[in-house]
Amino acid sequence: MLSLPVGHEEKVQDPDREKDEPKANMGSKSWAELAGEMKIFLWNPEERTCLGRTAKSWGLILLFYFIFYTCLAGMFAFCLYAMLLTLSPYTPRFRDRVSPPGVMIRPYLNGFTIAFNVSQPSTWQPYVDSMHHFLAAYDDKVQEEKNIECVPGQYFIQGGYDSVEKKACQFKRSLLQNCSGIEDPTFGFSKGQPCILLKMNRIIGYRPGAGAPVSVDCKVQKGNESHLRSVDFYPGNGTFDLMYYPYYGKFTHVNYTSPLVAMHFTDVQRNHLVPIQCRLNGKGIINDLNSDRFLGRIIFTLSIGK
Amino acid sequence: MQDDHRLSTSDLEKKYGTSIDKGLSSARAAEILARDGPNCLTPPKATPEIVKFLKQMIGGFSILLWIGAGFSWISFGIQLAQGVDSAFDNLYLGVVLALVVILTGIFAYYQEAKSTNIMASFSKMIPQQALVLRDAEKKELPADQLVVGDIVEIKGGDRIPADIRLIFTQGCKVDNSSLTGESEPQSRSCDFTHENPLETKNIAFYSTTCVEGTATGIVINTGDRTIIGRIASLASGVGNEKTPIAIEIEHFVYLVAGVAISIGVLFFIISVSMRYKILDSIIFLIGIIVANVPEGLLATVTVSLSLTAKRMAKKNCLVKNLEAVETLGSTSIICSDKTGTLTQNRMTVAHLWFDNQIYSADTSEDQTTQPFDQSSATWTALSKIVTLCNRAEFRPGQENLPIMKRVVVGDASETALLKFSEVILGDVMSIRAQNKKVAEIPFNSTNKFQLSIHETDDPQDKRFLLVMKGAPERILERCSTIMINGKEEPLDSEKAEAFQTAYMELGGMGERVLGFCHLYLPENEFPDTFQFDTDSMNFPTSNLCFVGLLSMIDPPRSTVPDAVSKCRSAGIKVIMVTGDHPITAKAIAKSVGIISATSETVEDIAKRLNIPVEQVNRREATAAVVNGMELKDMSSEQLDEILLNHSEIVFARTSPQQKLIIVEGCQRQGAVVAVTGDGVNDSPALKKADIGIAMGIAGSDAAKNAADMVLLDDNFASIVTGVEEGRLIFDNLKKTIAYTLTKNIAELCPFLIYIIASIPMPIGTITILFIDLGTDIIPSVALAYEKAESDIMNRRPRNKRKDRLVNEQLAIYSYLQIGIMQSVGAFVTYFTVYAEQGFLPLTLLGVRVNWESNAINDFEDSYGQQWTKYQRTYLQWTGYTAFFVSITIQQVADLIIRKTRRNSIFRQGLFRNKVIWVGIFSQIGIALILTYGLGHVTALNFTPLRFQYWFVAVPFAILIWVYDEIRKLLIRRYPGSWWDKNMYY
Repeated sequence: MLSLPVGHEEKVQDPDREKDEPKANMGSKSWAELAGEMKIFLWNPEERTCLGRTAKSWGLILLFYFIFYTCLAGMFAFCLYAMLLTLSPYTPRFRDRVSPPGVMIRPYLNGFTIAFNVSQPSTWQPYVDSMHHFLAAYDDKVQEEKNIECVPGQYFIQGGYDSVEKKACQFKRSLLQNCSGIEDPTFGFSKGQPCILLKMNRIIGYRPGAGAPVSVDCKVQKGNESHLRSVDFYPGNGTFDLMYYPYYGKFTHVNYTSPLVAMHFTDVQRNHLVPIQCRLNGKGIINDLNSDRFLGRIIFTLSIGK
Repeated sequence: MQDDHRLSTSDLEKKYGTSIDKGLSSARAAEILARDGPNCLTPPKATPEIVKFLKQMIGGFSILLWIGAGFSWISFGIQLAQGVDSAFDNLYLGVVLALVVILTGIFAYYQEAKSTNIMASFSKMIPQQALVLRDAEKKELPADQLVVGDIVEIKGGDRIPADIRLIFTQGCKVDNSSLTGESEPQSRSCDFTHENPLETKNIAFYSTTCVEGTATGIVINTGDRTIIGRIASLASGVGNEKTPIAIEIEHFVYLVAGVAISIGVLFFIISVSMRYKILDSIIFLIGIIVANVPEGLLATVTVSLSLTAKRMAKKNCLVKNLEAVETLGSTSIICSDKTGTLTQNRMTVAHLWFDNQIYSADTSEDQTTQPFDQSSATWTALSKIVTLCNRAEFRPGQENLPIMKRVVVGDASETALLKFSEVILGDVMSIRAQNKKVAEIPFNSTNKFQLSIHETDDPQDKRFLLVMKGAPERILERCSTIMINGKEEPLDSEKAEAFQTAYMELGGMGERVLGFCHLYLPENEFPDTFQFDTDSMNFPTSNLCFVGLLSMIDPPRSTVPDAVSKCRSAGIKVIMVTGDHPITAKAIAKSVGIISATSETVEDIAKRLNIPVEQVNRREATAAVVNGMELKDMSSEQLDEILLNHSEIVFARTSPQQKLIIVEGCQRQGAVVAVTGDGVNDSPALKKADIGIAMGIAGSDAAKNAADMVLLDDNFASIVTGVEEGRLIFDNLKKTIAYTLTKNIAELCPFLIYIIASIPMPIGTITILFIDLGTDIIPSVALAYEKAESDIMNRRPRNKRKDRLVNEQLAIYSYLQIGIMQSVGAFVTYFTVYAEQGFLPLTLLGVRVNWESNAINDFEDSYGQQWTKYQRTYLQWTGYTAFFVSITIQQVADLIIRKTRRNSIFRQGLFRNKVIWVGIFSQIGIALILTYGLGHVTALNFTPLRFQYWFVAVPFAILIWVYDEIRKLLIRRYPGSWWDKNMYY
C-alpha cells in the first residue's frame, strides 16, 4: 500500500484535530451500524429509494443504458456486417496461418496411443469400428456416384468463377488395398498388423509438393529402431496424388474427400510401447517444427499385445 | 547529571574554554564540531527498510496478485500431476504475476523513498539559524554547526538551538511543552534555583521555544547529548496519521478490489455451474483478477503527487507533508495576516499634499522614478525638508542594489522617506553633507516632532535652515504661514480648512500622515557662529512656514489584488486578521479587494443614510470590519452570525489569541480553513487550522514548526497558487484513475465472453499485464502534467465528505460506457482477424473445448480448411495481439478525452500538454516493439500483426472522442440537469 509521508508529531498529540478529521476508516464502524447503513442503502423507505435511486431515477438510467447499449450493439453488428461483406464466401482472405498442412491419423479415439491385445477383440474392436465409420465416405460406390475420375499425376485445376461448384476426384476405398477393410474387415488388427490411415489437412488452393507428389515415411521416434521392422504404404507407395489438389473449399467443393495414405505396420515389436513418427516429405512441406508436432508429421505410439 | 547550572559564569568559561565577550574562535569551534559531531538529533529509528519494502509487497492490490500467483502454482501442480501438456503455462503465469508484484513493489518503495527524501529536502530548505558569538563577532550560523562553549543569543520566537546555560536574560520566557508538557510559558533567569537541572531556571533546553524576551547563554550540550536527545521515547513517539489523499486512495483500492473479487467469485460460480472444471474456473478467476486490478496505478499516483510537491516548491510553497497539497485544494476560507503577507511590509510614501493639491506616489515594489509633478518651488522646499529632517541612513556598500532593496538603519517612516527622496533626488547622503547639520532634536512621543538645523548648500546664503516634521496638527500649530507655489502666504482659516480636508482624506485612506515645515533663520539673529542649544531651545519653534504633508502606508503587494479576486471566484472567502488600526486595515482590504469597491459596512451605510449605526439593517451590509475590542465581548453565536452574514470581513486590532477564536468560528461553519501566521503566538491558530501556513521570511521557528506549509516569499499570492495546485492534483488524479479504470473493462469483457460464449480466448493474462504495466504507464503519469481546466478557480471548494476522488459517476462512466465501447471496438478487431483467417464470427461461438483440445489437429474452419492445435494457438495469439493493439489505440482516444472533464478538448488545447504526446508516442512505440520486435518470442504471446489491423478500432476511438465531446457539451449546456448529475465525474 502506498503510504505518503505523514504529518509531524504535534498533530498526533492534538486531540481536537483528530476529531475534525473525517474518518474513512472502514474498521471503525461496528457491524450493526454497517448492516443498518446497508439496509437503508438497499431500501430507504423515507425517500423511497432503492440502491440510492428512486424508481424514476432507475427508470431513466435503465432507459439510457438500454438506448446506449442498443446503439453500441448496432454499431458492432454494422461493423461486423461491413467486414463480412468484404470477405469472399468461398476463399478466406488469408491462408498464411493454416499452411503448410498439418497431419492427422485415423483411427483416432482418445489420443495418440493405439494399444490393443490381439487375443482380446474387445480391445481393438473400437478402432476397427472407427475405421469403418471413417471410410464409409470412401466406399467405391459412393465415390463413383458422386465424384469423377481424374487424370493422375497432375493438379486438377478447375477454372471459372469462385461460386461455380467444383468437381471432386474419386478416392476409392479399394485403393487402400490391404488396409481398405474390404478383404480384411479388421484392418489387420486381428493379426497384430494394424492399418493406420494418415491424412493431410485441407487448405484451400494449396498445391502440395509443388508438382511432385508428397510421400510419407515412418520411423521410430527416439527409441530402439529395430522395434519397427516393416511398414507398407498404400496407395502408390505412400504418396498423395497431385490430382486431389487443389482444394476449393467446402461450399463449392462439396463432395471433396481428402486423399489418404494407409500405413500397414506389418512387423512391430510386440508388448512394447513403440513411438512412431510419420512424416510428409515434399517441397514446401515443413515437418521439423519444434513447437508444432502435427505440422507435416505425426507422432503416435503403438502398443500391441498378445 | 551535569552541574553546569551550579557553576558561576567564570567557572563555565574555564570549563568550556570560551569567553563570554569573544566567544569561541572559529578554529576551536571546528575542532569541537569534529569531535562532537553536528548539533542535531540522530533521527529516530525508522521502520526498518525491509519492513517498508515488505509492506509494499503485500499491501493494496499486491495481495490480490499474490492470490492469483498462488492459484496459478496450485493449478500448475495439479496439471503437472495430471500430465497436462500446457501445465507450464500456469507456472509461467504465476512467476510473471509474482514478478509484477515484486517489480511494482520495488518501484513503489523507490517512489516512496524518493518522495520522503523530497519532503526531507524541503525541511532542509528552512534551516534553523542561531545567532552566535565567535571570534568576537556575532554571526548567523545554521543551528547544527553549534558546539559546546558557543555563546548564543536568543530572542522571542526562536527555537532554543541547544541546551543552554543562561548568563544574561531580559524578560525571557520559554515554552517547555514539547519537553515537559507544561503548557504555561516558564520564566528563565540566570539564577541557580534548583538542584535538578530540569527544574532550575538558568538552563534552556534544546527544541523548546523562547516565547518572549531575550537571553544570552553558553551552549552546554549539543545533539544527542541534549536533554531531549536523551529522552528516547520522545523521538520514537512520532505517530503515523493517514492523510486524506491516502484515505481516498485506500477507498479506491477497496472499491476496485471489491469489484474484482465480486466479479471473480460471480464468474467462478457461473463457470462451475456451466460445468467447467474447477481448475479451469480457477484459471478464469486469475484472469478476472488480473484484468480488474490496475497494477500500475498506485505507483503512478505517488509519482504524480511528488511531481506536484516539487512544482509547488518551485512556486515558493514548501509543503511539509503531501497531505497539505490536497487539503489546500479544498480550502474554503483563508484567514490572512495583513503585514508582510498582503502588504510589502515596508512603509512607502503613498501621497503628498502641497500647493493645496494631493499627489499620488508610486508604491510598487520596484519603483525607480516618481511620476507626480515636481516643477513647483514648494516641492523643492518640501523635498529639502524630507531629505534633511531624517536620521535614517543606508548601510554602506549597497550602491549597486536597487534603492528599494537597500538596507536602511532607521525606523519604518524614516526609511520610507529616505528611499522616497533617494528615488527622486538621487544621492541623499551627499545632499546632507552639503547641508551640514548643526543641531537636532530627535522625535519623541511628548513633543511629537523632529527638528534639525542645517547650514545651506548655497555658499552665498549664510542663513541657517530649520526643518521640522511631525504629527500634522502639531506642526500646523507652530506655523503662521504656508507655502503656496513657492511663496509664503499667511495661514488663514480658509487655508487651514484646506489642510484639514487633506489631512482627513489621507488619514481616511489609512495612511500615516506627516507634516513638514521649515524656517530660514534670520542671519542677523543667528550668525554662523551661533551655538544652538537643543535643551534650552535658543531658536524659534513657532511661526514657521508650513510646506506640505506626506502620507505613508505599507502598500499591498502588487500580485495580491489579482490573487484575492481569484480566491473570490474560486469560492474562497478571504478574511483579513490584523493587529492594525481598523481604518488602515479597511483601506488595505479595499485596495486589495478583500472588501470590494461596491460593498459597504454597517458604518458606511449609517454614514450614507445619516442614521445611527443601530438602526441599520445588518443584513444589508456585505462587509464588516470587526474591532478586536468588540470581538472580545462577543459570544460565539454573535461571531458565527458575523461570519455567516458578511462575505467580506476584516478583523482589526486583534490579538493572536483571538485569531484562534476566529479560526474556530470558521470551522464551526464547516469550512476548511487556511491560516497564515508568523509569530510564536500564532502557533495555536496554525495548529488549529486545517492548514497552517507559516511565513518563510518573517516567520518564527515556532510558527514554522506548527505549520503544514511554509511560504518562502511570504506572499499571499503563493497561497492561491498552492490552492490551484491542490485542486489541480485532485482533478488530475481523478483523470488518471478514470483513464486507468476504463481499459479494465476491455480486459475483463474478453474473459466474461470467453466463459459465457465459449469463444477462443480473446486476450491473454500476460498481454493484459503488458497493457497495465507497459503501454499505459507513461500516459497515466502524463495526465499529472495536464494544465488546469479553465474553470478550476471558478468552482466552489471541494466538500471533503461528499466529493470523493473516485465517485460513482467516475466508476460508472469509465466502466459501463467508455470501457464497454473499448471492448466493442476490440472485439470487432478480434472477429475481423479470425474471419479473415477463415473463422467467421458465428463459427467461433461454442468452440472453446474443441479449439483448446490438444488432440484435435484437423479442426475445421468456416471454409472447410483444417487446422492443427498450434496453428490455432498461433492464431489465438494473433487475436491477443490484435485485441491488445485495439485497446492501445482506443486508450489513445481515452487519454485525449481524459484531459478535461467539462471543457471541450479543443478549448483545453490538444498540444498544450506536451507530456501527453510523449505518452501517446510511448504507448504506440511500446505496442510496436511488443508486436514486431518481440513478436517472435512465443512466451510473450505476441505475433507480428498485419498492419491494417491497427486501424480496425480507429472508428471506435473516434466514437469515444466524439461521444465524450457530446457528453461534455451537454454538461456545459445543461448544468444541474439529469445528464450533468449522472455523467459528470
